[in-house]
Amino acid sequence: MIEELQNIERQAMGNSRVHRLDARTKIILAFAAIIAMVAYPYSKDVIVPGMLLFAFFSVLWAFSGLSVLAYLKRLILILPFGIFIIIFQIFFENSRYDTFTSILDLPLGIHVYAESVEFASILLIKFIVCISFIILLSSTTTMQDMLAGAKRLGMPSEFVLIIGLMIRYLFVFAEMYGKVINVFEVKFFNAFDTNLPYKYRLRTLAYAIGTLFIRSYEQGERTYISMLCRGYSRDSFLRIEKKKIQGKELGFLIFGIIFIVAGVTVPYLIFDLGLIPSVSMQF
Amino acid sequence: MHIPDAFIPLPQAAIYWIIALIFVALALRWARNELSEEKIPLIAVLAAGIFAIQAFNLPVGMGTSGHLVGGALAAIVLGSPFAAVFILTIVLIIQGVVFGDGGITTMGANIINMGVIGGFVGYYSYHGIKSAIKNKFIPAAIAAWLGCFIAAVVCAIEMFIAGTFPLVPGIIAMGTYHAAIGIIEGVITAGAIYLIYSTRPDLIELDKGDA
Repeated sequence: MIEELQNIERQAMGNSRVHRLDARTKIILAFAAIIAMVAYPYSKDVIVPGMLLFAFFSVLWAFSGLSVLAYLKRLILILPFGIFIIIFQIFFENSRYDTFTSILDLPLGIHVYAESVEFASILLIKFIVCISFIILLSSTTTMQDMLAGAKRLGMPSEFVLIIGLMIRYLFVFAEMYGKVINVFEVKFFNAFDTNLPYKYRLRTLAYAIGTLFIRSYEQGERTYISMLCRGYSRDSFLRIEKKKIQGKELGFLIFGIIFIVAGVTVPYLIFDLGLIPSVSMQF
Repeated sequence: MHIPDAFIPLPQAAIYWIIALIFVALALRWARNELSEEKIPLIAVLAAGIFAIQAFNLPVGMGTSGHLVGGALAAIVLGSPFAAVFILTIVLIIQGVVFGDGGITTMGANIINMGVIGGFVGYYSYHGIKSAIKNKFIPAAIAAWLGCFIAAVVCAIEMFIAGTFPLVPGIIAMGTYHAAIGIIEGVITAGAIYLIYSTRPDLIELDKGDA
């Protein structure tokens, strides 16, 4: 995860039109798209708003100048977080359906149901759209910019202060973590090596984590003293310049929000009002 | 244990957000009262430390792995369950917004599971067991196990209420898996606290009176 952090930050330091957008614009659009996608009913129709929002994401990704491969790499890293639950859906009778049609009978009385496959597909579409916008946001916005944007959007100062410092330390930790891993490799220690006694593996990991913890604390103390020497004060650190979103960027933000809201609302109204024969399930 | 976006319907996610925000507000109040200028960098480093600690993959068995939650560890070391809520909220924000681990709409539920339940169960069970058996490290292990296990069971119940996973298989799967991870979390938490206590006892708030 820490190695990934450095890769993400490198991508975020680009200079495309999307990278140059105010962090607030990207945060608002990404969150709006995610909320809109989650708000859409668990219906087969979700494919329509899903495709519309994914098209919007694709345009922004194209303008970011980042490669499709970069997106796919990040997608593959995130997919396991949800794919496990999605795959297991197909073996269960989902409470949102009344009847079930078995399409595959497996040993031990396990069945794969058409309705459950449908529900898993709905979840997959929603999940992919949501994480795509997170990938876009984090790949085109440095963490420091995101933090400044969050502060301007009203995030409490305590969080901003701690996250700001935490971000700085994360990169120090990346180095420390790398050193710990190197030491493990030099000593041929592998936590997954079953030839080593389990107790020994756990004790070694506990000491490594404890050491990391203590080193982090001591690093914090050293940094604090250095900050004091440079005239650190709580109030001066929190000062983030006020900045208005205006002109073309404001126009783009308004357009983006309208597109996202319409991209979800219009398909919902069309299918719900029956202007197109609905294939959605009623829950 | 990180519930991704879309796995909880928006109205339910909003309820979890409201509950989580109450605890986050209380954690903020704790931070405003407790975070002296001197402590601020230390808390930040702790947050980064827990983030780094979560990067360690621990062998669970049968080829699977998991990572520490760290809620009990943060609560025990800093001497307040609100410290766990505060730190885990920060860690979950970074994980959700930067890594896509967990979600935006589901962040409320994730804060409740890992920060509130992990922190409160970890802190109070540590406190209770320690007063009963007069030992610092075994209670830390049990508290960390309880924090991990109960949070996982609550997570399974939330998924059931959301209609995205059946109750019994969910509790069996999440409960069994996290009961195993919880043992490792317990051992590692106790080991880490032992190491901190041996080298820097001044850092453990809860034990200042005992030292």
